[in-house]
Amino acid sequence: MNYLYFLYIEFLAKHNIPQLFGDLTFYIIPCCIIFAALLVVVLALVLFERKLLGWFTQRKGPNRVGFWGILQTLADAFKLLCKENITPRGAERFLFNLAPVVIFVPVMIALGLIPYSSEFTFMNFQTNLLIFIVIGAMPVLSILLAGWASNNKYSLFGAMRSVAQILAYELPMAFVILSVAALGSSLNLTQIIYAQSTRTGMFGWFGIPCIIGFVIMFICVVAELNRCPFDLPEAESELICGYNTEYSGMRFAIFYLSEYSMLFANSMLLAVLFLGGFLSPLGKYLSPIIFPPEISGVMVYFEQAFWLFAKTFLIIFVIIWIRATFPRMAQFDLLKFSWAILLPVSILNFFLMVIFKYLTGGGYV
Amino acid sequence: MNWAEFKNIFNDCRLEGEKIIIESNLLKTIEFIKTNYHFNMLKEIIASDNGDGTTELTYRLFSPEDEEDLMISINVKDEAESISSIFESAVADEKEIFDLFGVKFIGNSELKRLYMPEGWRGNPLRKDYQENDERLTWNE
Amino acid sequence: MSKLKLNLGPQHPSTHGVLRLILELEGEKISSCEPDVGYLHRGMEKMAEKLSYIQYLPLVDRIDYLAGFFYSELFCRTVEKALGIELSLRVKAVRVLLLELNRIASHLLWMGSFLMDLGAVSPFFYAFRERELILKYFEKISGQRMMNNYFVFGGLRRDIAFLEDVENIIKILPDKIRDYENLITENPIFIQRTKGKGILDKETAFNFGITGVNLRASGINLDFRKKDYLYEEIEFNPVVLDGCDAAARYKGRILEMKESIKIISQVLEILRLEKEFKQQLINPLNLTLPEGEYIQEIEAPRGLASIYIKSTGEKSPYRLKWRTGSYYSVNLLRNILKGAYLNDAIAISGSLDIILPEVDK
Repeated sequence: MNYLYFLYIEFLAKHNIPQLFGDLTFYIIPCCIIFAALLVVVLALVLFERKLLGWFTQRKGPNRVGFWGILQTLADAFKLLCKENITPRGAERFLFNLAPVVIFVPVMIALGLIPYSSEFTFMNFQTNLLIFIVIGAMPVLSILLAGWASNNKYSLFGAMRSVAQILAYELPMAFVILSVAALGSSLNLTQIIYAQSTRTGMFGWFGIPCIIGFVIMFICVVAELNRCPFDLPEAESELICGYNTEYSGMRFAIFYLSEYSMLFANSMLLAVLFLGGFLSPLGKYLSPIIFPPEISGVMVYFEQAFWLFAKTFLIIFVIIWIRATFPRMAQFDLLKFSWAILLPVSILNFFLMVIFKYLTGGGYV
Repeated sequence: MNWAEFKNIFNDCRLEGEKIIIESNLLKTIEFIKTNYHFNMLKEIIASDNGDGTTELTYRLFSPEDEEDLMISINVKDEAESISSIFESAVADEKEIFDLFGVKFIGNSELKRLYMPEGWRGNPLRKDYQENDERLTWNE
Repeated sequence: MSKLKLNLGPQHPSTHGVLRLILELEGEKISSCEPDVGYLHRGMEKMAEKLSYIQYLPLVDRIDYLAGFFYSELFCRTVEKALGIELSLRVKAVRVLLLELNRIASHLLWMGSFLMDLGAVSPFFYAFRERELILKYFEKISGQRMMNNYFVFGGLRRDIAFLEDVENIIKILPDKIRDYENLITENPIFIQRTKGKGILDKETAFNFGITGVNLRASGINLDFRKKDYLYEEIEFNPVVLDGCDAAARYKGRILEMKESIKIISQVLEILRLEKEFKQQLINPLNLTLPEGEYIQEIEAPRGLASIYIKSTGEKSPYRLKWRTGSYYSVNLLRNILKGAYLNDAIAISGSLDIILPEVDK
């Protein structure tokens, strides 16, 4: 990031613009980039999911708007924008309107914390990981707001279920993250990724020694995202649509958008923690081979981003695959599963990892 | 089941085709049949308007053990004894008959309009039911 | 704890049509349930009193649009029995063939929507894919996909054809059913959701007049096909399971589909030998039934279906009454949902295979 900062300041200095302006605008630009990229990614994700689900269930998926259905989500988004925003009578008006705003902020922050390439993290703090955990649990606040303010019994049920679920799954997740932090000796995501590069390619990834943790974390992420088989808060065959039953138009679109953005952010976190983030699975980057030497230095960053996105989409693919296969769990079994199985196993995993770290010594530093 | 034995206990009944026609004591008769002859299932209750203000109720009992059918019939005016204490499925049948024929079943607590909306006039399957074009005011 | 009143339906994704359940909840636990039906009432019984027999015939398929052949058969059979018409072997075999195909189609749809209720999306589409084969065949022979109107008094509208399609269907189906079982039956989440949920013991089942697969999944060997005159020449074993729960009811329907495939292959054998198509049709225009009461029964996919006709010798019945299986299943919900959790309630009511046109008539 510092490298980019200097480039930017240098660029401004060439055109006689004071550094103060650069300092002020430097952090606005990434926000705009995130927002624009987020929209594109979410539109792509929605199409990705619908296409995949279509194939899993022997349908074609969207295939009318634009070539191969590419513009379908855009058309849907446009339709949602044009729709009327309905606030039900008896709803807590202020909180009802606040909920979509509240859910959107943590999503934006979460995306800023991810290292997309070795020099490109919007907010590179020493405790990136910790912030991410805190931020990642915040959408439930909005879900609770939405469920309570809607004055709808189904919404309320969805919100209650969501809170119970987050409480149950946040804890095993924290223990797994703790064990990864122990393995990487850091709470900074970039350093955790570098800690995974001590062995060639895939063999250095934390997903290999910490396979139990990976599975637990994967389950927790699926649960935290309220996705099938843990989609109880918005179980459409029970609670109509759960907490966002009463939302329409743009407000619904924001819920939809943030749901997919959280899916994307959490999948990226999984890729960073267990699949080596932006590291190449082959051990070395391909761009020095492919591109001429003048641009290969810059292309490495793009290649890093490519690997991260590839891993992320692999994880998302598995999540969608699960959605197409499994029925929904029951609320009681779901909580029991977390408290009785995941939590003890994750604690056990933590101790195992600490012992592993002690035995292998510098191997994973 | 043993018809002679049954006839001894309940005097005022007669056999007509496959039907046993009784005059009164519906609840007792059916309870007796259920406990003594294992007619554990009530297939349905058929109501039919006789056209003279009375309704014929036919109870189709079934014995799963012997796979045997039994029909008990009774003519009632406006009221009949509910057998929902013996067969739970009678609750549903009696509700339907109450709605369509207007027979009140004493002892069934769930009686109310089933298919017809609340406040509908008349009972559609009675022979003297007048179809009229007056629309219901739904908001009432 | 104060109670919460929840209206489940009539517009709700998992009440399959327009069933309304008024639930009283303590937390997510149901303390009482009151079904409210009648949103699809079409006055089938009242209409019968105004229409002549042949005018009423096209309507009877609509009592249960997923298993129209059964009600068509029931109505035709009543008239045939009343007038003393004997069916030839081929006609009987064709009727069995279509009834069993219809049963498979109905169970497939049930399976898809039941798993949709449980939150699994894919089986719904897989089930519809196979059901489509059967409906395509129905369309080929009768011109209609669901309301076939193919049986007439004394026989069939025309002779059966395209039997190679049926052969194809029963060749494909066992593989597909195995696929469903691989996907669903052993799935731990599915087992968790259905095993021990919605217990229906023998006494309660009798008491509530439950018939069909729901009864046989409670360990009672009662299949009205055994006494049915259409099935005289056919060997089959009723599926009897003693799980008493939603899982057993699911299993029962899967096994019943397999049993139906066996019946169909026997029927095809009969049809291969018995080529001669003869039927004794009657002029339906002035059709009247002799004075008296007629009752006929059949084992429909959702339990015992029966018809009662009281005739006074007029052109239309004096009184006509249908008995349908789902009507009693809905009544059972009052009892079986008590003490269940909300998401189990969906699984339980789904497993009973309730279809609303049958309830509302």
